[in-house]
Amino acid sequence: MSNELENIPIRQELEVLQSGQKRTNPLANVFDGLVKFCRSRSMFMLHYCTGCGAIELPPAMTSRFDMERLGIQPMVTPRQADILLITGYVSIKTLKRIILTYEQMGSPKYVIGICSCTVNGGMYWQSYATAKVLRDYLPVDVYIAGCMPRPEAVISGLRELMEDISSGRAESWKKYYQHYDYYLGNQQKLFGEDWQTPTDIIAEARHYDLMTEHTLGEHTALLEKHQKPLEALEMRLSVKDKQKV
Amino acid sequence: MTPLDQLLALSALTVVAVWLIGNRQVTGWNATILYAAQGVLLMMMSDLGYGEVQSIASSLTFKVLGHGLHWRFDGLSWFFALITIGAAFLASWFASGEWGQRYRAAGGSLRLFHVALALNVFSMLVLLASGDLLSLFIGWELVSWASFLIMALGSATATRYAMRYVTYAFAGAMAVLMALVMVYTRSGSFEFQDFRDAVPAMSSGSLWMIVILFVAGFGVKMALIPFHLWQAKAYAETPGPGAAFLGAISSRMGLFALVVVLVQLVGVERLADLQLVFPFFSARDLLSWLAVLTLIFATFTALRQHDARRLLAWHGIGQGGYMLLGVLIADDLGSAGGLMHVFNHATYQAVLFMTVTAVIHRTGTSDLNKLGGLVTRMPLSFVAMLIGIIGLAGLPPMNGFVSKWLLYRALIIDGSPLLFLGSVVGTLGTILSVYKLIHNTFLGQLRLEHVEVEEAPSSMIWPMMILSTIVFVTGYFPGLVLDWVASAQAAVGLPVLAHNLGGVPSHKGGLDMIWVVSVLLAGFGIGALVFFSGGRSKRVHQLDNYAGGHFLTAETRYQYSDNFYPGLMHLIGPWYRKSFRWLERGFVSTVDTLSQAMQGFYRVVHPSFYLLVAVVSALTWVVAR
Repeated sequence: MSNELENIPIRQELEVLQSGQKRTNPLANVFDGLVKFCRSRSMFMLHYCTGCGAIELPPAMTSRFDMERLGIQPMVTPRQADILLITGYVSIKTLKRIILTYEQMGSPKYVIGICSCTVNGGMYWQSYATAKVLRDYLPVDVYIAGCMPRPEAVISGLRELMEDISSGRAESWKKYYQHYDYYLGNQQKLFGEDWQTPTDIIAEARHYDLMTEHTLGEHTALLEKHQKPLEALEMRLSVKDKQKV
Repeated sequence: MTPLDQLLALSALTVVAVWLIGNRQVTGWNATILYAAQGVLLMMMSDLGYGEVQSIASSLTFKVLGHGLHWRFDGLSWFFALITIGAAFLASWFASGEWGQRYRAAGGSLRLFHVALALNVFSMLVLLASGDLLSLFIGWELVSWASFLIMALGSATATRYAMRYVTYAFAGAMAVLMALVMVYTRSGSFEFQDFRDAVPAMSSGSLWMIVILFVAGFGVKMALIPFHLWQAKAYAETPGPGAAFLGAISSRMGLFALVVVLVQLVGVERLADLQLVFPFFSARDLLSWLAVLTLIFATFTALRQHDARRLLAWHGIGQGGYMLLGVLIADDLGSAGGLMHVFNHATYQAVLFMTVTAVIHRTGTSDLNKLGGLVTRMPLSFVAMLIGIIGLAGLPPMNGFVSKWLLYRALIIDGSPLLFLGSVVGTLGTILSVYKLIHNTFLGQLRLEHVEVEEAPSSMIWPMMILSTIVFVTGYFPGLVLDWVASAQAAVGLPVLAHNLGGVPSHKGGLDMIWVVSVLLAGFGIGALVFFSGGRSKRVHQLDNYAGGHFLTAETRYQYSDNFYPGLMHLIGPWYRKSFRWLERGFVSTVDTLSQAMQGFYRVVHPSFYLLVAVVSALTWVVAR
């Protein structure tokens, strides 16, 4: 591992950086409020379960506790999903998939860490193969601690997320773009410096207007050195008559 | 010279001219221009198509053994001739550019190809112009041989199936000849009018025989069950543009002949009087059910094909069932639906065969398991195929919807719920299989070996675009085609459909495609408005996709194309697995047994015994006198 990876600050508290612009149109606040309300009342969670905590989800989803009455239901693809549930211990191999999947989700997106393992490694603290602290690699909105948390706890965590969304506090997805260099550094430390995903986060940060001075850094420079970009297939509309056969 | 003489002469001249120009690149362009000229001559007869003139005769007539042969065009002939010449024009255009170059470079003879095509057009025009039963038979034979010629140009498979076709066609021609002899003995001439006059006096038995013989003869060309086993593979393996032409119009010649004989001469009411099981199953029901079975079996066989051309060729057989069914309903809506479907089917079948040929031209394969994702590389071909399959599936806003709507409505009014159900089942199979066609060809994952594929050359794109425009425009304004259909109905004595530009006006619920399509387009417009005003979108690569969190690579295929519809196949597969093969073997073994019995009769077993029997019977006869 190169020396550059040694210099990652460990466990720093990251802030969501607010842009200075205020919306002046009085109707804009009404519109924003409506959008927040709708977002908090139709949360689709990605059907991707990682550890033992997943076993508490079926009772939470089905008739006994019935999450769907709150507008929460499973979704099969990340492109349409709003919530990524990390239900239990995260091995390094799984973490790669989680990051890939997280990056494929469209913003705004929310991460919920369920079980103690996602908080600090839990009973797998001594394992060589697990990533202990999830929020080093992804911004996490809500933790639901417990080993394992009961469905009531899961639902109360989800309600808390709903509150956060409707009051505008759940904005940690912006942190991933604003502090991408930090997250990428932690990922590179774990996976090696040739780590990359298909999604171009820097371009997305520009797309969402979330570029800050922390987005780019030495780790993104390392990424760009060996990144093989995956360009979208563009339509080729040219009709040519080649005379050679 | 009448306009018909000019048309037939120019058509014959096309054959000669193409032959003389020879195996050169310009052959195709010259043929295309000559077809265009034929089209102009046909347009000069367009009074036929709009019912202003009943018929235009040819000055060519001669007498054989005291029977006059003559040729003439009426509304029905004009309608079919329009499709024939249009299909030939566009197929020849398609073949003239890069396709022809490569065909010639691969050792094919463009002279032979274009002569075969021109000969097909000429023989079809002769058949369409036939004015009596004898000239109908002559035209029929010409068409059979001409289509054999173009099929035999293809691969070894095509030649094998073309040989099979010739076997069927010979048997069919013999059946037709026998029917002609029966008609002649009862009416004393080969004139249409005399046959029509003699029908009321005929006994049910002999009329049954005549109908069965005619259906057996002409049904071969239509690939009506059980004579359908030759067509799909023979058409599919014919060189690309040839397949487009054959798929568009060739087998409709059988329908034309059946319409002339069954509807114009015998009359559908008379068919309905021929009871098979009194009082609810007549000859007309039998034929309708044959049509529906052809539709269902051929369509679900198409669903199983994994070669795009065979899939289309099987659909060609199946859609023939709709046409025959519509004509047999014989009211104004149903027969209009059946006849209009001939036009509609020709347009979308040609464009589908052309897109598949363009894909073969660029990628070298039509195997649906070896394609995928070509939409980014061949977008215009994709659009053409999309329009074609919407037409084939019979959904608005394309023209296939109009003819199927007419047909369904006629079946409901006619009170035939089971036939209606059968045709709906057929449509279901069509929709499933055309989805398979476009999904496995153009959608899904682009293969590594196809990354550098380019759009088809302009000589292919233009005919495809013209045809898909026709498919759309005649769906938007079906009245354009219904005008010709109405005069074709009038020419064969069917009730004429009252129509306007948008479709069928009726206080009991008509069809106005202008409204239907406009509302549909407005819906698309609203969708587009939402899409384009919804902020910036981001295009992602196909491999930036979700498969349970796996990192996808181009080396591994994630598109689901092999063994399409396994659940459905599991359900319906055993019903007809190899049943067609058994059917044909049944035929073969019947003929085989008969011939062996005959052989045993006169060659092997006890000739002296037969001699004794003959002598004794002769003596008995003499004594009894």
